[in-house]
Amino acid sequence: MRVLLVEDDSALARQMADFLRAENFAVDIAANGEDGRHLGLTEAYDVAILDLGLPKMDGAQVLRAWRSAGRTLPVLILTARDGWSEKVDGFKAGADDFLTKPFRIEEVVMRLRALVRRAAGHGDTNIRCGALSYDTQLGLFELDGLPLRLTGLEWRVLSCLALRKEMVVQRADLLERVYEGDAEVDSNSVEVIITRLRRKLGAVRIETVRGLGYRLTADMA
Amino acid sequence: MSWLTASLRGRLLLAATILIAAALIGTAAVTYVILDHFMHRQIDQQLDSEILALRSTLVTTAAGMEEGRQVDGPPFDRPGWYWQINSGGSVLRSRSLSGHTLDIPAGPPVLVPPPPPPNERASRPLPDLFEGGPPRPGDGPGPDGQSLHFRTKTFALGGQPITITATAPQDAFVRPLRDAMTPVLLALLITAAALVAAMMFQVQLGLKPLQVLRRAVADIRAGRAERLPGGQPLEIAPLTDELNKLIADNAHGLARSRRHVANLAHGLKTPLANLSLALQRHGDSPELQALVGVMDRRIRHHLARARVAALDGPARAQTRLGTRVSDVVAAMMQIHAERGIACEVVAEPDAAVRCEPQDVDEMLGNLVDNAFKWAASQVRISVQCKDASTVIRIEDDGPGLTTEAIANVIRPGQRLDEHAPGYGFGLPIARELAELYGGHLVLERAALGGLSASLTLPRAT
Repeated sequence: MRVLLVEDDSALARQMADFLRAENFAVDIAANGEDGRHLGLTEAYDVAILDLGLPKMDGAQVLRAWRSAGRTLPVLILTARDGWSEKVDGFKAGADDFLTKPFRIEEVVMRLRALVRRAAGHGDTNIRCGALSYDTQLGLFELDGLPLRLTGLEWRVLSCLALRKEMVVQRADLLERVYEGDAEVDSNSVEVIITRLRRKLGAVRIETVRGLGYRLTADMA
Repeated sequence: MSWLTASLRGRLLLAATILIAAALIGTAAVTYVILDHFMHRQIDQQLDSEILALRSTLVTTAAGMEEGRQVDGPPFDRPGWYWQINSGGSVLRSRSLSGHTLDIPAGPPVLVPPPPPPNERASRPLPDLFEGGPPRPGDGPGPDGQSLHFRTKTFALGGQPITITATAPQDAFVRPLRDAMTPVLLALLITAAALVAAMMFQVQLGLKPLQVLRRAVADIRAGRAERLPGGQPLEIAPLTDELNKLIADNAHGLARSRRHVANLAHGLKTPLANLSLALQRHGDSPELQALVGVMDRRIRHHLARARVAALDGPARAQTRLGTRVSDVVAAMMQIHAERGIACEVVAEPDAAVRCEPQDVDEMLGNLVDNAFKWAASQVRISVQCKDASTVIRIEDDGPGLTTEAIANVIRPGQRLDEHAPGYGFGLPIARELAELYGGHLVLERAALGGLSASLTLPRAT
C-alpha cells in the first residue's frame, strides 16, 4: 500500500512517514504543492494525504489538478485549518476525508485503510478469500483464524492482491504499489516475495497469469 | 429654517428664491417708475392744455379779468381738478374750488430749457406754445387738505403779469397707477411661482443621482451588490470611485483578518501535531496527550472567536442557503460515509441570509456534523423563510440532550463529550456566530427523537 504524503513541515512529514512505514505503508513525501501535484499525476498511489496550506501551490489546487486529470486516488486532507468552509471546499475539490491537526496517528492509519478499501469497492471491513481473511481496519491477515506473520513487503503485496481478489493485478502495478519512489528495485524481487507468500498461504493460491501478472484466488485449480 | 440650510435642496431653493424675488422686485420697481413717469407726463399735458386754454380765453377789461368760458369741462368740474388765475390783487378760480383760494407753492426757479432738437419739435408741440419754458410743477395741499399736483405759469398780459395755475389731485396719479400695477404684480407673482417650481424641478433633477447613489449604497449594505455602479455623473463619479475603494479596502481587511487567523491556526497547530506525534512515539503518556488535547481546544476556541471578531460592523454579504446546505450535506455524507445515515433536506429555493458565507458554513457545519455524529439513521434539515428571518432546523434521531445538558452545551467553552471531538464546542460557536448576526440558536427535543437545533438568522431580501 503506497501513500503520497504532501506536507511542508519536514519534521511532521518525517514523523508521520516513520509511523506509516511501521504500519506497512510505502510512503513518498512531497514538501510542496508543485511536487505533490507532479507525483500524484505521474506515480501510482493507493491513497494520498494532503495538507491544504502548502508552499508554491495550495492543497485544494493540487487536488483539483489531480481530479481534472482524471486521477481518482482517494485523498485524505490533513490540515491545521479547521473551519467548515475549508472542509466543505476540500470535499468540493474532490477530497474523500478530512482530518485536522493535531491528530492521533492511529486515526490517520484507520482512515487511510478505510479509504483504500472503499476505493477498491469493498463495503465490508473484512475481506475474505477462502481461508484467508483480511481485517482492513487493523491491517491484519488471518489464515484459518490464526494471525499470519508477514514482513512489510509481503504485507504490501498481499494487501494489494487481497483488495483485488479474484482479479489480475499487473506486475508493474504491483511493483509501483509496493516500493517507495526512491527505492532500488530488483526486477525479480516481486517474484521472490510471491514465492515466500505462497509458502505461507498454503491452500489460498496466488496464480501467475502469464504475461499479465498475479491473481489471489480461493479457487482450487 | 434649519432644514433650509441643512439640506442641499433647501440651500438651492433658498438661494434661488432670494435671487428670483430680488429680480422680480427690481422689475416691479422699474415698471412702477416708468408708469409713474408716464402718468405724470399725461396729467401734466392735461394741466398745461388747461393753462393754455385759460390763457387764450382770458379777457382783461378795465374792471378786471374775465374768463371767457362759462362752464368748466371735465375733469375740471370735479374736486381736486382746479384752476386759478392771479393777477395783482384779483383772483379768478374754477367753480370746483367753491370760492376757496389755492395756496400756490413756491417752486424752484424755472430755468429756461435749451431749445429741443428740430426733429423733436413736431412730436412735442405743447411746450413750444409757452414763451419762456413750460409751466412750473409743484405739490401742495388743496382747500380740503387733499394733496394736489400744481402746474403754474406766469404770462405777461397787457404789460401785467398774470399767473395761471391748474391742479390735479394726487389721487389721479395713484389710482390709475394702482390699477395698472395690480395686474403687473399679479403677473410677476405668477412668474415667480413658475420660476420657483421650475427651480424645484431642476433641483430634483440635479439631486436625483444622489438618491440613486444612496440606494446603491443601501444595496451594498444589504449585500445585494458588491460595488457601486459606474456611469455616474461627472460630479459624483469621484465620490463613487472613492466609496468603491473604501468598500474594497473593507472587504480586503476582512479577508486579511481571516487569512491571519488561518495562518495563525496553521502556525500553532502544525507544531502541536508534531508534539502529539512525538509523544505517541515516546510511550504515549495519556496525561501528556490530554495536555495536547487541552492546548488544541484552547487554540480552536480562541481561533473561532478571533474569526468571529474579524467580522466588524454590520454584515454586508448575503448568502443563498440552497447550495451551502447541499455542499455541507455532501461533505457530511463523505465524512460519515460508513454510517449510512439518510439525510433529508427541505429548503425554500430562494432562501438567503445576511451573513458571510464562511460563517454560514461554520454554523451549518457545526450543527449538521453534530446531528450526523449522534443520529442513529436519520437527519432532517429544513429551511423556512419568515418575515425578517430565516430558520434552519436540523434534527436527528439520536439520543438527544437533557434540559441540563442543553443548558451546558450553550455555555461557551463547555465540552460534553471528550471523545467525540467538536461536540459541545461546535454548538456554542454556532450560537455565538448566530448572535453576532442578530440571530439565535434554540435547542430542543426533535420530533425524530433526538436533538433539534433551530438556527434563526436575519433574512436577506
